[in-house]
Amino acid sequence: MTTGPATDRPVVSPPSPRPPRTRARSGRDALLAWGFLGPSVVVFALFLVYPLGRTVYLSMHGNDIIGRPNRFVGLSHFAEMASPEYVQVLVTTLLFTVGVVLPGVAGALVIVLLLEGVLRGQKFLRGAFALPFAFSVASASVIFAVFYSPGNSVLNGILYRLGLDQVPWLTSQEMALWSIVITTVWMNLGYGVLVLAAGIGSIPKEINEAARIDGATGPRLAWDVTVPMLGPQLFFLIVISTINALQSFGQIHILTGGGPVGSTTTLVYSVYQDAFAYGTSDFGRASAQALVLLLVVLVCTVVQFGVIERKVHYS
Amino acid sequence: MTTFPRRRGVKAAALLASLGLLLSACSGDDGAGGGGGDLSAPGPEVLDDLDEAVQVEFWHSMDATNGQVLDELIEGFNAENEGRVQVTGSFQGDYDTALANHRAAIQQGDTAELIMIYDLGTQFMIDSGQTVPAQSFIDEDGYDTAEVEEALLNYFTVGGELRSFPFNNSTPLMYINRDAFEEAGLDPDSPPTDLAEIREAAEDLTITDDDGTVVQYGFGAAVYGWFIEQFMARAAVPYCDNSNGRDGRATEVLFDDPKIVELVEWWDGMIEDDLAVQIGRNTDDGAAAFTSGRAAMTLESTGSLGGYIEQSDFEVGAGYFPLIGADDPGGSIIGGASLWINGEGHSPEEVRGSWEFVQYLLTPESQSVWHAGTGYLAVNTEGYNGPEAQERAEEFPQFSVAANQLADSEINENTAGCMMGVMSEARVAAEEGWETALTSDATAEEAMADAAGGVGRTIEEYNASVEE
Repeated sequence: MTTGPATDRPVVSPPSPRPPRTRARSGRDALLAWGFLGPSVVVFALFLVYPLGRTVYLSMHGNDIIGRPNRFVGLSHFAEMASPEYVQVLVTTLLFTVGVVLPGVAGALVIVLLLEGVLRGQKFLRGAFALPFAFSVASASVIFAVFYSPGNSVLNGILYRLGLDQVPWLTSQEMALWSIVITTVWMNLGYGVLVLAAGIGSIPKEINEAARIDGATGPRLAWDVTVPMLGPQLFFLIVISTINALQSFGQIHILTGGGPVGSTTTLVYSVYQDAFAYGTSDFGRASAQALVLLLVVLVCTVVQFGVIERKVHYS
Repeated sequence: MTTFPRRRGVKAAALLASLGLLLSACSGDDGAGGGGGDLSAPGPEVLDDLDEAVQVEFWHSMDATNGQVLDELIEGFNAENEGRVQVTGSFQGDYDTALANHRAAIQQGDTAELIMIYDLGTQFMIDSGQTVPAQSFIDEDGYDTAEVEEALLNYFTVGGELRSFPFNNSTPLMYINRDAFEEAGLDPDSPPTDLAEIREAAEDLTITDDDGTVVQYGFGAAVYGWFIEQFMARAAVPYCDNSNGRDGRATEVLFDDPKIVELVEWWDGMIEDDLAVQIGRNTDDGAAAFTSGRAAMTLESTGSLGGYIEQSDFEVGAGYFPLIGADDPGGSIIGGASLWINGEGHSPEEVRGSWEFVQYLLTPESQSVWHAGTGYLAVNTEGYNGPEAQERAEEFPQFSVAANQLADSEINENTAGCMMGVMSEARVAAEEGWETALTSDATAEEAMADAAGGVGRTIEEYNASVEE
């Protein structure tokens, strides 16, 4: 950003076409700068800083039955989170996130790499694979709800015809989370394909040609040349999918409502349950959990930048 | 909006709610805090000599078919009251969302004149002190409640006063696939009445293919906390202490009663032995299992009858909600929502206008339309004699089962149901205990006791915060 007053810029050549800068001039610059910055500062303050401050405030207060903060409770809402229930929520969140990000990114990469070998209809196939991106969370979840529906699951119907065992998609504590993971991976795949396909298109042809001349083909070419060249896109995708996964709500809400027995309750869903579900309005507990979620997202992102980004090659 | 699963809004709804919260938070601290205002019913004279019609905003949770029938009733009222009272209906999402919106509105001091709140929110509505008690209108006008369904008055009367006006109410039934009954050599005219009989029938109704995969289950219903409340009422066991919270604030829930443990064990056994399909907590899945023919018996609200008849390609039968043991006394509680008239922050004209509209809804004429159009009970029992209701009863005799079940029910504290500020959380806890027993190694006794114990803390917090 080139916003602040630039008074200390050395004037190199004497015959400068501009008059020497004065205090008045730099004051005008500053005014102009703030004028441009103003709208975004207001928006940030209103929709980012204020809600964050308010969340911190709420997290340290108890509520009356209307949801108004009415007593200071210090950090006790945070202390409560040291319970097995909350640890379970964190573990579920972690499993969900890893379960969504790894197959999601790897799947998109494999699809894009395989499509590279397809000469006819490549554009069509890319479009087809990117299509899930166009589905809203709600409609995709409703479709999967039909696939999984306990009484008459479409997927179980297919398994039955193949002579395979029925799967309790949403009704078993062990299975429900993975059913939501499958849904989410499917929903995210389109975006991954879109980003990586764009990335692969921007790799200079000379690099591939040079590698071919050196004798690299097929998997070797993909792994040693294409994948490293996709580094920035892959990194971007990992960061974005992680944040998205941590904030997933709609598919959990529609498919399981956090059950059975809390086995699909992630942090976001737990925040929702405390704040809005079941006629409650425990904004104190919900805010405390929201801050923990913020911290988790922050830590994940910082770690990703620290660990993965170092290996990313920006051409 | 499509019909979403019970107590599940859309993401957008939650988002809107949170946005509302954010905005309300700005003015939260100095909102309509304290008391004041006149919380008694004004007489009819306040609507004399009006310069313009009184505007009444009505927040409700009726969408799809039910919403259309409600809109018709609103239009009918507005046409009769031109220049006097004009009601505007406003759909607020499902019951939970509507309650969350109402809370935000209280914070902003901007509540609607008339609101529909589900049964579980009754104690909260009383404690929040925003509404004019229904009894106050009845006393002011000498309104006769003789025709109003007694079981409904029983539920919504707290401390000897009717607190709100029952409107969209139902009671659960057992539904059977009559065709499957006939194929299995069972008599569809006498459906099973208790758990042992259901199991016996399910053994005949369950069909397994050559590989041992079940193609038709005898039974399948959602793990829905309302059913536990119903089973307890029928077994004459209170759901919470202090006489179901009617003699004083409830301090603990009692759904770890041996009767309920027996029920959960039975349910687990049915699934274990492949006589029942495991549904989970979503009632839409229970409906799908029944209407598709996968489960030959199910439990659901009487409000589902119309949809079941429409969606099934077999003949649907309805019977009384089952008893746990054959010796249980029976009885039935209700579910659904009631109408509350806000007094805090509203003019006498608005309060009176809302009451006039409620009276219109409670007429036999309106109730006949409402019952026939939605399948909800006729709150005014005279409504069953209306032309629309009669026509429907002739076409589908199953519609009378719910009314009979209530008429056969004794009016006492057990059938009044539990009155408690955290009823909604209690219901979820009951579902979790029940589901734990079905999906893990925990015994029904442990699971229900754990769940009931967990509600204790929530009740304590709630009671402490309203007594402060």
